[in-house]
Parts: sequence; structure tokens; C-alpha cells
Amino acid sequence: MRDFILKRAASLILPFIFVYGIYVILHGAVSPGGSFAGGIIVGLSFIAFSTIYGIEQGRAKLPEKVLVWTESYGTLWYGLMGLVGLVRGVPFLANKLAGVDLGTPGTLSSGGLIPLIGLGVGIRVASTIVTLFFTIMEEER
Amino acid sequence: MSGLLTKVLINYPYLVAVLLFTIGTFTVLTHPNLFKKLLGINIMESAIFLMFVASGNIRGGVAPIRGTTNAEAVYINPLPSALMLTGIVVSVSVTAFALALIMRLYKAYGTTDLRRIAARRKEVISDDHLDQG
Amino acid sequence: MTTLIRANLPVLVVIAPLFVAFILPPLARRIRLVEALALLGAVLGLGGAGYLASIVLTQQENPFIYQLGGWPAPWGIELVAGSLGVFFLLVVGVSVPVLLFAQGNLAAEVGGAERVTRFYVLYLLLVGAMAGMAVTNDMFNVYVLVEVATLSCCGLVSARRYPRAAEAAFTYLILATLGSALVLGGIGLIYLITGHLNMGFAAQELSRVWLARPHVVLMAVSLIVVGFGVKAALFPLHVWLPDAHSTAPSPASAILSGLAVKGYLICLVKFLYGVFGPTLLQEFAVHRILTLLGGVGIITGSILALTQEELKRRLAYSTVAQVGYLILGFGLLNVTGLAGALFYLASHAVIKATLFLAAGAMLAATGKRNVRDLAGVGRKMPITMAAFTIGSLGLIGLPLFSGFIGKWYLLLGSWEAGLILPAVAILAGSVLCAAYLLPVIRAAYFAPAPEEDWPDPGRPQKLALLLLAAAVVILGVRPGPFLELAQKAAAELLAFY
Repeated sequence: MRDFILKRAASLILPFIFVYGIYVILHGAVSPGGSFAGGIIVGLSFIAFSTIYGIEQGRAKLPEKVLVWTESYGTLWYGLMGLVGLVRGVPFLANKLAGVDLGTPGTLSSGGLIPLIGLGVGIRVASTIVTLFFTIMEEER
Repeated sequence: MSGLLTKVLINYPYLVAVLLFTIGTFTVLTHPNLFKKLLGINIMESAIFLMFVASGNIRGGVAPIRGTTNAEAVYINPLPSALMLTGIVVSVSVTAFALALIMRLYKAYGTTDLRRIAARRKEVISDDHLDQG
Repeated sequence: MTTLIRANLPVLVVIAPLFVAFILPPLARRIRLVEALALLGAVLGLGGAGYLASIVLTQQENPFIYQLGGWPAPWGIELVAGSLGVFFLLVVGVSVPVLLFAQGNLAAEVGGAERVTRFYVLYLLLVGAMAGMAVTNDMFNVYVLVEVATLSCCGLVSARRYPRAAEAAFTYLILATLGSALVLGGIGLIYLITGHLNMGFAAQELSRVWLARPHVVLMAVSLIVVGFGVKAALFPLHVWLPDAHSTAPSPASAILSGLAVKGYLICLVKFLYGVFGPTLLQEFAVHRILTLLGGVGIITGSILALTQEELKRRLAYSTVAQVGYLILGFGLLNVTGLAGALFYLASHAVIKATLFLAAGAMLAATGKRNVRDLAGVGRKMPITMAAFTIGSLGLIGLPLFSGFIGKWYLLLGSWEAGLILPAVAILAGSVLCAAYLLPVIRAAYFAPAPEEDWPDPGRPQKLALLLLAAAVVILGVRPGPFLELAQKAAAELLAFY
């Protein structure tokens, strides 16, 4: 029962940090921030969890296998989003041309495919940060 | 003379960039310490970033976001800043990779000084002349 | 489906290896699958390049212009597969036999399955970046691709867990980053005075404004030449190359010496001729500097190679000399010389890959690094040594081998330019090349063989060596479309001169 307050507070705050990170990732096209910043926030929520609850708990939440998958397939997701244009018969990475409805400017949908692309990048950034953290922490022991 | 002075005053970001670039390059090429070399690289890259970002700036200009400013405001050029975001990410990955290599070198030689590494190379090599997996 | 592929070829050849690279990491446990997929990635790239070449060569579309995301040129990123792009895409095909060679014996060199997978990921990223350099027409895109290539090269150099490799990789990383920072500075200056990042538009604007700002342009030219010079091991800037290329695992040495250096040279050509243009080069006498550095590089590199005891180091220094030939050709400023340099680039890619792979096979079988200890290896490992011999003869530039045609055109080019000294350097380089490679062959075949059992490598390795050796001979006997492409590319680059 060490760090009781810290653990309770973290269990309250961390989910919101995580969701905020996702929000920043998705709204990269219409507001400051974006997939890199948002990905770091998501990654930090896991890093904070691991420092407060211990590395083993953190590892249990995100096993190495999952990290390897998200790290490489997050990037692949970006490429797949690029292929959407290709399948619609317009160039690679096309957005509006690919027939995506851009909606009203300033809303989330006005980015077209950008929030989805950002999601891939954000996941990749988050898992890279977490991998780096785990590697460094496990090296020290 | 005053013409030159005005030029200098107007273009000071570029002069700072040149100064930083020189400092960075000098550090990279002359310091035997691996960390200092890495720092030099980072300073040098910052100089380039500064030059790019300064090239997009307009004094009194505003961020080019639609609907947030009045119509007659002058927009700055966002492209160089966007490019340098990529540049910064690249420079971070280079730094991370270089730090990993420095850690490996430190484990093998027990120092981060290039001259000492050169001196110890022979003893380290002699006990693994072919690479160990 | 076929129309879809045809319409998007320039981007597909770039993203096919990258896609495969990112599929690989989670599959690390199934190493056979990883190997097959990696090979598939490289083959897809080469296949796409071949298809693209057939389109461009038959003039269905030349150049093949592709707008990423559908944004037209000054705003969007443009991929242009002209003669030069297609030519280099075909050269990138060297990655296929090298990858074939890597299958099987890589685990012995770099370690467990996970490390082998990482090697393939980096390898495919490098191939993708090289393909990108061939087709991109956007200056900042060049910078990004150059950085991707640099980081993957450093990863490949440090793939072996052995302090010497980490040291070489660190030196390489620092100097290569220095180089790319210089290149980025040059791009920044061009962007400052032209307002364009697209090469074609920047060139147009530059031809208009350079008289008003000659100092800025001169600065940009020098930053870019020195920046790419560091990365491509142009003579006085080559210090990182011998360590990096000789400590890397053999397939990595082959791809680094054969391909990576060439990618930067192609970028340099694009900048020199596609952005600055021959007139500007002549105005600043850049071409004379290039020819001078190239000539000095040929002689010095060859002499340094002559003094090396270790076979892989000797080959690495030889790369410095061969880069000299290419730079010399770039500076001749005539179609013959430039075409010769481009053809020599292709032929050296194939030859150096052959030599490094054969040297790697010998090292793996015998465990001997030095030339002196490899006596008699020719009779023990006939196929490996045959490939090495063919590669050596090609590098020396004997007729009927690919090196000859490149050197011949370079000679004609320097004759056309009215220069004697480059021609002397070319010939002297050939003689010196014979001096550092023939002793290896003589010792291998005519010295008494030791008792030990040195077997030829496994089947994929043999196939790779034979493919590359065959390419050396085929390029020498029937250079046909390759030479044609090189000449066309040279003519297009010098069109406004």
C-alpha cells in the first residue's frame, strides 16, 4: 500500500490524459498539436502508469509483442490510407480527390483522411516512446 | 556604413544562424568527446532550422489560420516552419541513434573520448578479433 | 488492376519496399517468411522499375510525371521518372541479388532472428529511399530521403555487435549528418532566393535571379557539393568510408558500396544539372573543381587501396577511387562524359556488389581477413573466386566487361572536353586497380592451397554471385538499353547547354 494517494490520483487522471492524447492526435488538422504531440501524450500516460504502478504492471498492460505490432503497423496504416486514393483511381495520398467529404471547415471531418493518417502516426509515436522507456528502464536493472 | 548596419540589423536571424553553424561545425570537427560531437551536430542543425524559419517570417505577420484574424492581416509563410518540423524529427532520431551508439562504445571501451578509444582499440580487438554474436 | 498499377508506377516502386519493411518486424519468429517477404519487396521494386523503364524507353510517356496527392507541381510533391530516374531505378535492382546472398548466412554474421529481421527492415528502407531519390523532383523530399537512407545505412553498419562496428557507425553518422545539414542549408538558400522547392521551378527561377545574387548561389552550390560529397565519399571527404564499409556485414558492405553511395551521387547530379544548370556551373568553375577532385580521388584512392592488407578494406578504398571516376565524369560537362559516368555508376554498382559479396563468402568460409592468408582459395572455392575474378576484370576495365564501356566513354568525354590530365588519371586508375586486385587473384589460383576445407557458400549465395557476375559480363558485351538510357539521361540533363 505504498503511494496510496499517488495511485488513486493516477487512476483518476491517467484515463483522461490518454483520451486527451487521442483528441490531440485526431484534431491535428484543425488545431495546434497533431499526431506527434498527441502520440507523445498517449505514450506518457503509459509511462506515468509504469512509473507509478511499477514496470511489471506496465509490461502487463503493454506486452512487448503488442508494442512491436503497433510500432510497425502504425506506420503501415499511414501507407494504407495513402492507398485509398490509389483504389479510387486518383494519385497516392489523395484526400479530397479520393471522394472524401470534407464537410465544414474547422470541424473534425474537414481534415478528410488526415485524422486517420494521424492516428497511425500517433500510435507509432506512442509505442516508440513507450518502447524507449521500457528499454532504458530494463537496461538499468 | 549605415546601410550596412541596417542590413545587419534587419538580417540578424541569419547572422545568428551563421554563428551557430560555425560553432556547431567547429565543435563536431575538433572535439574528441563523442557527446560534444553530438552536441555540435545538434547546434549546427538548429542553425539550419533557424535560417529556414526566419526565411518564412514576416515582421508583423500572423499565423495563417483561416477565420481567426481580420482580413487585411499579413500571413507569414507557414511552409518553412512545417518543413523544419520534419527536420526536427529527423534530428531527434539521429540524436537518439547516436546516443545508443555512444552507449555501446562506452560499454566496450569504458570511455567516450575518441583518443582513448583509439588507444584501447588494440586490446579490445585482440580478444575478439572476429566478431562475437 | 493493371491500369491502376501502370498509372501509379512511380510511387509504387518507392512504397513497395517500404510497405514490406513495415510488415516484417512482428514476424521475427518466422525467419523463413521474413526472408521470403524481404526478397519479395526487393523484387517488386525491381519489377516495377523494369515496367517503368519499358514505358519510358518506348516513349509512351517520357518523362512520366506523377503528382502525389493530386497536387500540381509548384505546390505538391512531384515524382518524375525520366531517363535518369528510370536508369537509377534499374541500378537499385542490384539490391535483389545482394538480398539473395544475405539469405541464410546472415544469422551467423549479425546474430539471432530478431536482429536479422531488423537488418532486413533497414535494408528495405534503404532500397525504398534509393528508389525515392531516383524519382523525386522535390528538394526537401530529397533531404528526407537522404536522411532515411543515412539512418538505415548507419543501422546496417552497426548491425554486428562488435565495438569496431559501433565506432565506424558513429563516425559515419556524425559525418553523414554534417553532410545532410550542409545539403539542407543549401536547399534553404535556394528556397530563400527562388521561393520554390520543386527542382524544375527552382531552376527556372534561379536562371533569372542568380545574376542579382551570385554570392548566395555560390554558397548554395558549395554547400550542396560538399554536403553530398561527404555522403558520397568524394575524395578528401572520404575518411568515414573505409571503416564503415569494411566493418559492416558483407551484404551490407555490398549494398553500401554498390548502391548507397550512388544514390547520393544521383542526387548531386540532379542538383548540379537539374537545379543549377551547366551554365551556372561553368560560371563558378564548379566543373573544374569536380574534375580535379575526381582525378586526385582516383589516384589517391587507388594508392591507399594498394597499401591495405585487409581484403574488405582494400575494396572499400577502391570505392573511393571509383567515386572519383564518377565525379570526374560529372565535371566534364559534355554528353559523352556524363553518359560515361552514369554508365560507370551502374557498372560499378554491380561490380562492387560482386566483389564485396565474394570477399564476404571467402571471409565466412576461411575466417581470414587479409589478402596474404587467402592463398589457394581459388581452387577451394571455384565459384566464389570466379565471380571475384570477373568483378576484378570489370573494375580494371578490360574490354568485354562492363567497366570498360564506362571508362571508354569517360576517356572520349575528356578528349571532347580537351583535357589531357583526366584521361591520364583514368588510365592510371586502371593500372593501379590492376595492381591492387590482380595479386589477390594470382595468390588465389597459383599459390599452393592449404590443407583446410574451405567450401563454396550455399546455393542462394552461389546464385547471387553468378547473377551479379553474369550482369558484369552482359553489361560489357551488350550494354544496349542501359547505355541508351545513360546517353538519353545525359542528353536531357545537358539539354539547355
